[in-house]
Amino acid sequence: MKKLYYALAMMLMSVAVSAHELTPTYPVIESAYLTGVSTIKMSLWNRRDDVKYYEINVYDVDWNLVDFATTERLMKVEYLERKSFDIYIRDDDKDKVEYICTVSKQLKEDVKSSGIKSRICSRMK
Amino acid sequence: MFKSITFMSTILMATSAFALDSPITGNVSSKCSIFTDTAGVYGNPTPDELSTKAADGGVDPVVRYDVTVADKYKAKISWPNSFTSSPSLTDAVNWDGETVVKSHSVSGMSAYEGAKVEYDNHTEFDLTLAGSTWFSIESEAKYGSAKSLPGGEYKANVVAECIAK
Repeated sequence: MKKLYYALAMMLMSVAVSAHELTPTYPVIESAYLTGVSTIKMSLWNRRDDVKYYEINVYDVDWNLVDFATTERLMKVEYLERKSFDIYIRDDDKDKVEYICTVSKQLKEDVKSSGIKSRICSRMK
Repeated sequence: MFKSITFMSTILMATSAFALDSPITGNVSSKCSIFTDTAGVYGNPTPDELSTKAADGGVDPVVRYDVTVADKYKAKISWPNSFTSSPSLTDAVNWDGETVVKSHSVSGMSAYEGAKVEYDNHTEFDLTLAGSTWFSIESEAKYGSAKSLPGGEYKANVVAECIAK
């Protein structure tokens, strides 16, 4: 009986919990194949079953937006999908980059009474 | 001739079979995960108020932060200061809230509550230890000067951030 309660509790815990992850914590800027452009490689793992979209933003040390290019600024990431993405920065701006953030974007119908927006930011070192 | 070929091939087969280690490798790298543990629900204790407090019939949202390496991240949690969707409102809404450490996996994390920094609707916690921390967020919205809130559905977002230091 005790085992049954334990198994039930584990099942409920595994159903209720979902997460958002962004790696690496401290990314590095590399040269891109285009002259005058640098690239940063990032990876996002979506374990939130209530979120399918994540927005990418790049900031300087004062949290001002820095111009960047990527294939999708608002990317669709299915539940339990890991998505790698490259961020392209002009060489003139590469010293400005401080934070790279992904923020969850929920569809209106997916938001419960008090929804949770998650944002994870990696930092250049 | 046939016998010697069979003999040689047996030797070759025997030498090609050898023990092989199958190592399992792993790597613990620094990362932060934000888990949505409990979605919040607003209760409606009085006609002019929405609140996530259990005493008001609501449910406080709970988020869990997992950090794998100590002292690499800070948590910034913001209680709502506007509705993401609501019926049309003609008066101002007064917002209030509180973020507290609900539980933790490492005893030293109990110090997070005393060391938290609060400003505006934000609360910052320095995640100095590796492990899991659960934060509970309380949210209250009071409408105008004791006016009743219009009927309809109200939604607001808590923002949970994990920022590399």
